[in-house]
Amino acid sequence: MESEPLRGVRVLDFTQGIAGPFATKLMGALGADVIKVEPPGLGDSARSLPPFLQDDPHPEKSGLFLYLNTNKRSITLDMHTADGQHVARSLLEGIDIVIEDYPPGQLAEWDLGFETIERINPRTTLVSVTPFGQTGPYRDYASSDLVAQALGGLLYVTGDPEREPLRIGGSPAEYLAGCSAFSGALIALTYRDASGRGQHVDVSELDGIATAQQYASLTYAYLHENRERVAAPPLFRVKDGQVGASFRQQSWGEVCQMIGRPELEGDERFIDMDARRENGEELNSIVGEWMRDQPKEALYHRAQEAGMAWGYICDAEDLITSPQYVHREYFVEIDHPVAGPLTYPGMPLRWSGEVSPLQRAPLLGEHNTEIYCGQLGWTRERLVAKRAAGTV
Amino acid sequence: MTADALEGIRILDLTQVWAGPTCTKILGDMGAEVIKVESARRMDIARSEVNPRPGTGLYPNNDPGELPWNRAGRFADRNRSKLSVCLDLTHERGVDAFKRIAANSDVVIENYRQGVMDRFGLGFKQLKEARSDIVMVSLSSQGTTGPERSYGSFGVTLEQTAGTASITGYSGGDPMTSGVLFPDPVVAVVAIGFILSALRQRGKTGEGCYVDLSQREMTTSIIGEMVMDYTMNGRKWKPIGNRHPVFAPQGVYRCDGHDAWVAVTVRSDEEWSALAGTIGQPELATDHRFASQDARAHNHDQLDLFINAWTESRSPFEVMTTLQAVGVPAGVAETGKQLLEDPHLVSRDFWELSGLPNQEQIPYLSRPFKFSLTPGSTRMPAPSLGQETEQVLRDIAGMTQDDLRELAELGVTSNDPRPFAANSGF
Repeated sequence: MESEPLRGVRVLDFTQGIAGPFATKLMGALGADVIKVEPPGLGDSARSLPPFLQDDPHPEKSGLFLYLNTNKRSITLDMHTADGQHVARSLLEGIDIVIEDYPPGQLAEWDLGFETIERINPRTTLVSVTPFGQTGPYRDYASSDLVAQALGGLLYVTGDPEREPLRIGGSPAEYLAGCSAFSGALIALTYRDASGRGQHVDVSELDGIATAQQYASLTYAYLHENRERVAAPPLFRVKDGQVGASFRQQSWGEVCQMIGRPELEGDERFIDMDARRENGEELNSIVGEWMRDQPKEALYHRAQEAGMAWGYICDAEDLITSPQYVHREYFVEIDHPVAGPLTYPGMPLRWSGEVSPLQRAPLLGEHNTEIYCGQLGWTRERLVAKRAAGTV
Repeated sequence: MTADALEGIRILDLTQVWAGPTCTKILGDMGAEVIKVESARRMDIARSEVNPRPGTGLYPNNDPGELPWNRAGRFADRNRSKLSVCLDLTHERGVDAFKRIAANSDVVIENYRQGVMDRFGLGFKQLKEARSDIVMVSLSSQGTTGPERSYGSFGVTLEQTAGTASITGYSGGDPMTSGVLFPDPVVAVVAIGFILSALRQRGKTGEGCYVDLSQREMTTSIIGEMVMDYTMNGRKWKPIGNRHPVFAPQGVYRCDGHDAWVAVTVRSDEEWSALAGTIGQPELATDHRFASQDARAHNHDQLDLFINAWTESRSPFEVMTTLQAVGVPAGVAETGKQLLEDPHLVSRDFWELSGLPNQEQIPYLSRPFKFSLTPGSTRMPAPSLGQETEQVLRDIAGMTQDDLRELAELGVTSNDPRPFAANSGF
């Protein structure tokens, strides 16, 4: 395992929820040693969020937590006490990356800000992941995934033009912030390896969404007009779901053949992109009529085999049974002492070099003895005393 | 004193459209030397049409000019901080020149359909012959193995096949795709970390490495909990509009003004109490219909009426600042204009102006992170097609003036897409 990409990189992770933990999940999967610091008692807030195994709200049964915290070790530490902050400083030794998501300024208040980290070890990088970043007028604002999608310009351009703007489902802003934190950390690590210097990386969830919206700001910058919501390309109702189709010039003939209406290829109403756009409703009703009885997967494969980039709406069951995902073994089974064996989404890439399989998420404080006694050299008695005092 | 984080890393970039170019743009901003390879026969389709129809596309001063492919807005945003080289890879001399550049590069990145690189004779095996420790990265739709490996996709296809569209849509309605092709920026950003991880591995082993990233899998990776609910409980998620599975209320509320909206989320009873007081209905905080998260979720429709009645006579910015002052998450659904003028993004220098000499300077997107020692910046505006062909072939591939003349005569390095105009555009 010595040649795993991030083997030997030590990460001290104070983050909770989705963004930070997704970043450190990726680091852990590539071989980094991630020590997750959780508040005693309830632990990471994700442990209290659904979905739960059999809807039992148990801290070791949250699917969100189990998914996001593979390849990590967990210790508990109360950061809101002076003693906890002192212990945290002693954990910094030998750490390459510290990652945190406290409100801006909080770490410095605890004497754990970048200046302190740099003094203890100038090779350490601090990655801060927050909704709005470390500077600027909104830095202390409260946020949610929806609020980030709104302020970053994603919300306004999504949904039905006749209705309220619509968010993208799930927590896309938080996951994207996680991707930014992962890549930001790797950029800083690359520089550290060359120069010996760590630095402070400021990851803003809002900046991520503002990077993702692209067309809205570009359209205004070039044309001085706002990009409005436009009805999304049609998804056709088929026998057992929905299929997304596009009718590009080079494949229009194929479409006509497929729907059993070869005469439409030369029909003036649909002769080119402009004509098809103009007569879109008519076209969609002709194609839609034929599609109604088609099964989604068969139609998707048929269109793709004919060179058309059509899709079909996949729900979780479709993903689990997708022949492509099955072939690539994208989903993996991971056993867990409380939640048992479950199927998880795996890593989105195959690597010709060495990488280890995903390891289950840690139990809350599972590695307290290993880290505090094994690494910091505490006696058993000291650990017991710190536990009794509520620090650990 | 600032430095460049990725100085000394050379990236040979065959990617087109959005995800790949955005990834390499950020690598370029951070100091890597990025050499973008296109050809007259097949230039990046983000350069848009050779002969754009009037009123289409984004061009400085709204003028496509004589050579519109060098002025296209989307291309400009995604391809700054790069050098541009023209090489026809369907010609063996083009392939040979490419290998000579690869021999002096660290990374080759591509997003062709599966099999195209092999057909060019530029698969991982051949690239390793050119340089034994090369890192090759494929950013394909579905990975380079499996029954659907050669299937094509756009961002909008991936939203369907990766599962995100199945949970996007109005409550009770059909699934919908987003207005932004969200998979592309996700792949662009995460790929940076994977590339640098591969380089780190090369540093340890001295060997090359092949990274096969599936854009579809990456997109499913951002909805892991949706998959887990199915594998744990057999439950399939449906669109729930703008509401949150746990927090209530959460919604997008109409404000005073044309198509003006504000997003609001209440995550706790304390925030609910603050919201109720702010909208002039403090008694709602203790009303049994709304006193707990569960009760608020159950009576969400009623609650929305109270909130709407308060927001609809106010500007979205007033609603945001008033609610934020009492600690309630709220944000304006910003338009393109509002984004460019947003005081927070402006104060963080999020927009980076650039443009060609004597042309309109345009505010482009910067990056999703800031660095204290190695800030990164726009190195130079996006290159015109083949702008650095000679420079790169001479200085990096070690070719002579005679070689260059010969390649030009064969048409291998042509930078004139007009003979191939039918191939251009989306």
